[in-house]
Amino acid sequence: MELLKMEQIQKAFFGVKVLEDVSLVVEEGEVHALLGENGAGKSTLMNILSGVYTRDAGTVVFAGKELQNGSIAAAEQAGIAFVHQELNIFNDLKVYENLFLGKEYVNRFGRLDKNRMRKEAEELLMEMGVQMDPEQSADELDTGKKQLLEIAKALHSKAKLIILDEPTTALNKEEIVHLFELIRNLKEKGTTFIFISHKMPEIFQIADRYTVLRNARFIHSGKISETNAEQVTRYMVGETYSNEDLYKNRELGETVLEVKEICGKDFDRVSFELKKGEILGFTGLQGAGCSEVMQALFGYLPITSGTVTFRDQTLPGGIHQAMKHKVGMVAANRKENSVVADMTLLENMYLSEHTISGRKLHIYKQQEQKKYENYHSMLNIKANSSQDLITSLSGGNQQKVILARWLNTNAELLLLDNPTQGIDVGAKEEIYRLILELAQKGITIIVNTLEIPELKKIADRCIVFYHGRIMAQLPHDDLNEEAVMLYATGAVDGQKNKTEGAYV
Amino acid sequence: MSKRIKYFWSNYNFIIIFLGIFIAYLCINGSQTSWTTVTNILLHSAILGTVALGMGMVILTGDIDLSVGSSFVLGGGITIVLFNQVNSIFLTLLCALILGGIFGFINGFLVGKCKMPSFIVTLATMLIYRSVSQYMMNEMGETRYSVDASQSSYQALFNFGNGNLLTISLIAIVFFLIALLLIYVTNSTRFGKRVYALGSNEKAAKLAGVNVIWTRISVFVICGVCTGLAAFLKIAKDTSFDPATSGKNYELYSIAAVVIGGISMSGGRGKIMGIIFGTMSFTLIDKIITALGMNALLNDTVKGVILLVAVGLQMVQKRSRD
Repeated sequence: MELLKMEQIQKAFFGVKVLEDVSLVVEEGEVHALLGENGAGKSTLMNILSGVYTRDAGTVVFAGKELQNGSIAAAEQAGIAFVHQELNIFNDLKVYENLFLGKEYVNRFGRLDKNRMRKEAEELLMEMGVQMDPEQSADELDTGKKQLLEIAKALHSKAKLIILDEPTTALNKEEIVHLFELIRNLKEKGTTFIFISHKMPEIFQIADRYTVLRNARFIHSGKISETNAEQVTRYMVGETYSNEDLYKNRELGETVLEVKEICGKDFDRVSFELKKGEILGFTGLQGAGCSEVMQALFGYLPITSGTVTFRDQTLPGGIHQAMKHKVGMVAANRKENSVVADMTLLENMYLSEHTISGRKLHIYKQQEQKKYENYHSMLNIKANSSQDLITSLSGGNQQKVILARWLNTNAELLLLDNPTQGIDVGAKEEIYRLILELAQKGITIIVNTLEIPELKKIADRCIVFYHGRIMAQLPHDDLNEEAVMLYATGAVDGQKNKTEGAYV
Repeated sequence: MSKRIKYFWSNYNFIIIFLGIFIAYLCINGSQTSWTTVTNILLHSAILGTVALGMGMVILTGDIDLSVGSSFVLGGGITIVLFNQVNSIFLTLLCALILGGIFGFINGFLVGKCKMPSFIVTLATMLIYRSVSQYMMNEMGETRYSVDASQSSYQALFNFGNGNLLTISLIAIVFFLIALLLIYVTNSTRFGKRVYALGSNEKAAKLAGVNVIWTRISVFVICGVCTGLAAFLKIAKDTSFDPATSGKNYELYSIAAVVIGGISMSGGRGKIMGIIFGTMSFTLIDKIITALGMNALLNDTVKGVILLVAVGLQMVQKRSRD
C-alpha cells in the first residue's frame, strides 16, 4: 500500500529550478533510500514533505489524504517526522525533557508532571531497546545516542514516516549496527522510513527500495534487490562516472617525516615514518585519535612528550611554527574549521600564506590573482570569479579552494583530515585524483578517513588507530575492510603480534 | 539593471539611508540652508566619527568596546592636565594617543589573551575609567578639566580645533584622513583581511594560521588610539572636559553609527566607509530635531527609532540574500 505519493513537485528559488516534476512513491512499512549528489534536490524535496518549504506545483498525498502545502504543523499532525543531519538536541536539558519539549504534561495548576514524563520516556526507550536514562543530561550522551534520542522523539510523536537525513555520518560502526537494528525492528512494527545517505554499503544493507534524483529531476526508482552499487552510482552521477582504479605504485623519496613516541591527551606513544611523496592513510573508529594526532602534528593540539622531525628539523609546536616548516592541514568539518564564509575565493586562498611570508603589509591584488588563476586551472575549481563569496561554491569546489590555500603556502607535508566530507561522488573522485597528482609532485600527504574504500583508492600505506594507539600499519596491498576492522575495533593488536610474526 | 541596483543596495545602503535623512533635513530646513549648514554636519560628526571608526574595527572582529566613552573622558582629562603643565601641542597629541592605546591594550589583553568576553571586560573598564576621571577631578578640587588659556600654545590649539581649510573644519579633515587610512587598512592590507577572517570564523582563521590573540589586541589598541585622537580633537575644539557628562553614551552612539553604517554586529561583514555615513546620519538627526524645534529630550527617542529602522532594512536585505 502506498503511504506517500508525491507527484510532479516543482520548486524554484529566485528563478532557479531546484525541483522539476519530481515524483516519489513510498510504500508503507519499507525503508526507502533517497539518493542523489549534493544539490540534486533531496533536501528540498524532504523539506517540502515536512512543510518547511512550500511547493510551487504538484501534489503530496500522505496516508490517503492530500497534505496541506507548507505547514510544518500539518506534516507533524499527519505523522511525518524529519530527523535532520544536524541534531536538534538541547544539551542543557535532560533526556526526557528533550523528548517532551513543547509537549510537556502538566497538572491542573500548570506544574510539570515530571514523574509521568519520566515514566513514559523510560517505557519508550525500553521499547526501542535503547539503554538510556531519562534523567541523564543530554550533553553526556555521545553522538550515536543523541541520534537515537532524535528517533525516539520522532516515535514519541507517533510518526508513521521518519525521514533520516544522513544519519550515520557521525556514528561509529557499532552505533550504525545498533541504529540499523532499531530501524529493522520499527519497520516490523509498521513504521516507514526515508533514508538519505551517500554510503552505498549502508543503503544495500538497510533499504528495500530506492529513488534517485539528479539535477533537480527524478531519474530512477526501483528495488534494491534488483540493482547494484555501480548501477546506482551511475544513476546518481550520470554518464561521467567510472570506477577505474586510480592508484598507481610510485617511486618514493627519502624519509622526510619522523614521528617518535608522541603522546598527548587523546593519543599515546605514536611513532611512524614517512617518505617524500608518500600517501599515508590514518583510520580508526570515531574517537580513536587519528584526527587528534593530525592536529598535534599541525601544532594545534599540544604534544606532551616525544618529537616530530620534518625535513631534518624538529617541529617546536604551534600552528605558526608548523606552517613555517612547510606543514599544512586541511581540517575536518570544512564549514566550521576552514571556510571563512564572508570572504571571497581569493581572500580564502591567500589568508594562510600571508601569515608566514614576511612582514609585508600591502596586498598586491594582481599578483594574488595570478596565483589564484594558477590554482584555478591546476585544481579545476569551478567558479565564475575569484571575487565571488566562497559560500557560492559547492562543497567539492570549496574544498579545492582550501586545498589551494595550503598549496599556496608551499606546504610539503599536507595533512588532510576527512577531505571528502560532504562532497558528492563525482567531486570525490576528483579530489582523489588531485591527491595522487600532488604526491607525484613530491608532496607528502597524510589522509585521515573512516572510509576504507577511499584509502584503497589513494593510500600507499595505512595506519590503524585504536584508543589513541597505533594498532597496525598495513601496506596498500593488504588494505581491506575486514583487516582494518579487526585492528580498529581492538580485536587484534598488530604491534604486539609483529614480533611473533602472526596474523595480518 | 535591477541586479546592479540590488548590488548597490546590499553593499551601500548606508549611503541611501544618509541621503534619505539628508533630504528630509533639507526639506525641514528650507530656505535657511547654506553651505555652512552642510559643513557643520561634517564638523559635528568628526569627534563621534573618530570614535566610531575605532569601534567599527572592534565590531568587525565580532567583539564590542563599551569603554570608549569613559576612556575618551579619562584620556582627555589627563591630556588637559599635561597640556597645562608642558604647553606643547605635539606632546599633548602624543599623550592622548598613547593613553588611548594603553586603555585599548588593557581591554584587548583581557579579551584576547585571557579570553574574557569583551562585553564584560569593557563594561568593567567603562565603569573604572569614568570613575577614575571623576575622582581625579574631585581631588583637584575642580568641576571641569579646562585648558589653561594663559599658555602660549593655547591659541594655536584653539585655532586648530576651530579652524577651516577651504571652508571645511580641520578636525573634520582629520576624521576623513583617519577614515581613509582605515579604509585602506581593511581593504588592502593583510592585517585588514585577518580582522575580517577573525570576525567571520574565528576557528577557521586560527587553523589558517592567523594569530587570533594579536589580531584581537591590535583592534582594541586601534580603537583606543582612535578614541584618544577623538579626545584630542575635542580638547582643541572645546578646550574643556566635564568628567560627568563628556563622552556620555559615546559607546552607544558610536555602536549605533557603526550599525547604521552597515557593519554586522556579529563581525566579518561591512565596510569602514559606512561608518562615515552612519555617523553623519546620526548627526543629522540631532539637527533635524533642533530645526523642528522639538524638545531635546526626545532626541534619543528619534535616534532609537532611526536605529531600529536602519537595522530593519538591513535584515530585509539579509533575508533576501539567504
